[in-house]
Amino acid sequence: MRHTLKRRLKGASLVTVLALVLAGCTSQSALGWLPTERGLTNQVDRVIDLWVVSWIVLLVVGVITWLLIIWASVVYRRRRGQTGLPAQLRYNMPIETFYTVVPLILVLGFFAFTARDQTIIEAPLEEPDVSIEVYGKRWAWDFNYLNENVYLAGIQGQELPGGGVDNELLPKLYLPVDKKVEIKIESRDVIHSFWVIDFLYKKDMIPARTNYWYFIPQEEGVFRGKCAELCGEFHSLMLFEVHVVSEQEYNQQIQALRAQGNVGRLGPEANVLQNLPGTGAFSESE
Amino acid sequence: MTTTAPRPSVTETPQGLSNARVAKKGNLFVDWVTTTDHKKIGYLYLITSFLYFLLGGVMALVIRAQLFAPGLEIVATKEQYNQLFTMHGTIMLLMFATPLFAGFANVLMPLQIGAPDVAFPRLNALAYWFFSFGSLIAVAGFLTPQGAASFGWFAYTPLSSQTFSPGLGGNLWVFGLGLSGFGTILGAVNFITTIITMRVPGMTMWRMPIFTWNTLVTSILVLLAFPVLAAAMLALGSDRVFGSHVYDAANGGAILWQHLFWFFGHPEVYIIALPFFGIVSEIFPVFSRKPIFGYKTLVYATIAIAALSMTVWAHHMYVTGSVLLPFFALMTMLIAVPTGVKIFNWIGTMWRGSVTFETPIVFALGFLISFVFGGLTGVILASPPLDFHVSDSYFVVAHFHYVVFGTVVFAMFAGFYFWWPKFTGKMLNESLGHVHFWILFVGFHMTFLIQHWLGVMGMPRRYATYLPEDGFTWMNQLSTVGSVLLALSMIPFFLNVYLTARNGQKVTVNDPWGYGRSLEWATSCPPPRHNFTSIPRIRSESPAFDLNHPEVDLPAVEATKKAPAEAAK
Repeated sequence: MRHTLKRRLKGASLVTVLALVLAGCTSQSALGWLPTERGLTNQVDRVIDLWVVSWIVLLVVGVITWLLIIWASVVYRRRRGQTGLPAQLRYNMPIETFYTVVPLILVLGFFAFTARDQTIIEAPLEEPDVSIEVYGKRWAWDFNYLNENVYLAGIQGQELPGGGVDNELLPKLYLPVDKKVEIKIESRDVIHSFWVIDFLYKKDMIPARTNYWYFIPQEEGVFRGKCAELCGEFHSLMLFEVHVVSEQEYNQQIQALRAQGNVGRLGPEANVLQNLPGTGAFSESE
Repeated sequence: MTTTAPRPSVTETPQGLSNARVAKKGNLFVDWVTTTDHKKIGYLYLITSFLYFLLGGVMALVIRAQLFAPGLEIVATKEQYNQLFTMHGTIMLLMFATPLFAGFANVLMPLQIGAPDVAFPRLNALAYWFFSFGSLIAVAGFLTPQGAASFGWFAYTPLSSQTFSPGLGGNLWVFGLGLSGFGTILGAVNFITTIITMRVPGMTMWRMPIFTWNTLVTSILVLLAFPVLAAAMLALGSDRVFGSHVYDAANGGAILWQHLFWFFGHPEVYIIALPFFGIVSEIFPVFSRKPIFGYKTLVYATIAIAALSMTVWAHHMYVTGSVLLPFFALMTMLIAVPTGVKIFNWIGTMWRGSVTFETPIVFALGFLISFVFGGLTGVILASPPLDFHVSDSYFVVAHFHYVVFGTVVFAMFAGFYFWWPKFTGKMLNESLGHVHFWILFVGFHMTFLIQHWLGVMGMPRRYATYLPEDGFTWMNQLSTVGSVLLALSMIPFFLNVYLTARNGQKVTVNDPWGYGRSLEWATSCPPPRHNFTSIPRIRSESPAFDLNHPEVDLPAVEATKKAPAEAAK
């Protein structure tokens, strides 16, 4: 009798704890603290789901392991006055096989989902509506709107006294909402990395190489972008903003760039490193 | 039937070294600088690498201070900040963790296989001096006008080229690490030869202690990885100094360097992890009073980790868009399996044991608990869709500190407390050891756990500062406070070392822990110049234990070997 009562009490307390934990779930923890919202782009939901489910499975494995460590330390401690030696057990094939095969199955399952999601995320979108060429340069960004034939030459983050940068002066990339976007990712000098934090994606900008990122922004808003690969002294000031706007406002911004005279494309002719010795361009002796 | 003479008992401390010549201080100096004794070279490695640990640690404190609040200028320029984290990474990986392996392996591996010294004592000394001078050269960049190298410890080209990082600091870094890398290679050749050729009769491969096994596998990894690093470094040096064009971006040099560097860099992670797995594998059995659980699976797991580690380098390059994602993702995830096997073997060693909590096993448990979490985040990072977001963020910083600090530092202290009587003949103080552990453990988790959230929320690594509106400030402050606590934990350790050296009781027995298993516990503390005055019979992987505890039955392994038919029933 007492036994079942105890068990029931235990069960009840477990339910209470679970309820408390679930009630305490903020929107942040439901996203696994990812700095985004569902539906921000056509890709983030996929990443959020893989992230949250992976973490749940891994934490279950982790908690079991930690409990086993604590259990082994507490239950099998040498008691005061204990003498002699425990059984000198050296192996147990069934258990060893078990804890080899079970993680193997978990890992293969995880790989299956990983492979599925990465194929979808990396797949090019056919006939993109907007094609943007982004150049990383020390320590800012150039944005070429290829379809519209306008560009923006960004400047590096301007530090304010007491910390922070002047957000007004940061390079801003405008994207129309719900349109297929193709981003060509290139570099003018060293390796940079193009990271839009809220979109949960980055890709390296590698000199003499073009990378691509295809996605559809689905919510209007302003999102933070940062360089994520060490590129020299002012790496931490290589910031930008992504403004996802209505098509109308997008066209206004393009017009504004055109009105400023930013017509054309800042192509590879603006790269550095074109006069290195041995490249056939100029040499120091000439 | 083998007939054996009874083992002569060793009562008095052997006087291997204390000849009259070493009385003068100058002689002592000459003796240490010219030594070819594997133990002394090992101590040189341990002391040097620990000094670099302190140096790298001080740099980490400055880095953490700079990040205490947005917009600080603790370091005068961001360039200096870049120098600090570059040298912090370089020092911790190549001047602390790697030579620390050479230190432990040098002192212990010959003792564990019953050898009087290593196979090539003079090559051994040469390797140490290559490492020592190479490291001094790389660190000397701080003394040049432009300062030390500032292109990150993985020195991605073209940032590390003469064009973007001019100055002597970068050249010193490249050639210093090249020299030190040759030292590591020579050391590995020596370890492999010693293990293959100098095991005492009876010490079959399957009776070698796990630490010796891991030294062997690690040394093989060194031979696979470090020559690639040395070649890549010399080519970079040639680009920087002679104007060659190996890493020109136009010729794909940016990606070429990444492949070469990580082909070294990923095995390097296991080069500094496996020996420390070996250390805790020696410690768990002794304080659980049981043999290591699953000896063979543990060895196979080590070999599997080493083999897989050669196939996963490009998981550092997922976001370059230049690598075959599914292959490297699968290989990386597979490493979790043998690593998990090791973790469960350690737990299995304690299972149904009789566990006491002396300082060495407390540090080993601290390692185990921290390392499990580093393993979990490692699985997350293995998945490219998740890595795209957190790559190059503080999530990665947190991950590798859990893996590397959790392994190397915790296991190093576990090894120090465990073998201190073998090194010095005196036991470290237990209470101070526990105080040391708890401050380190709390400080470590306070510093690095929060960094996972920092990274997920969008703080890139290697940023000299961040924005107030990022909302990172309180997390960075917590981390900085944790790092101070972590640094304070060195005080009880130094106090312990000092008090032990001054007042510590001399250890008069071979095995002060009472349940030591491998051969180093069958000789005096400290061992004589050529390690053994007599060697017990070796009939299992625990010769010292078999010697001191004859009441225990023959090991099960032996029983099955003798009567396989019976065992099968």
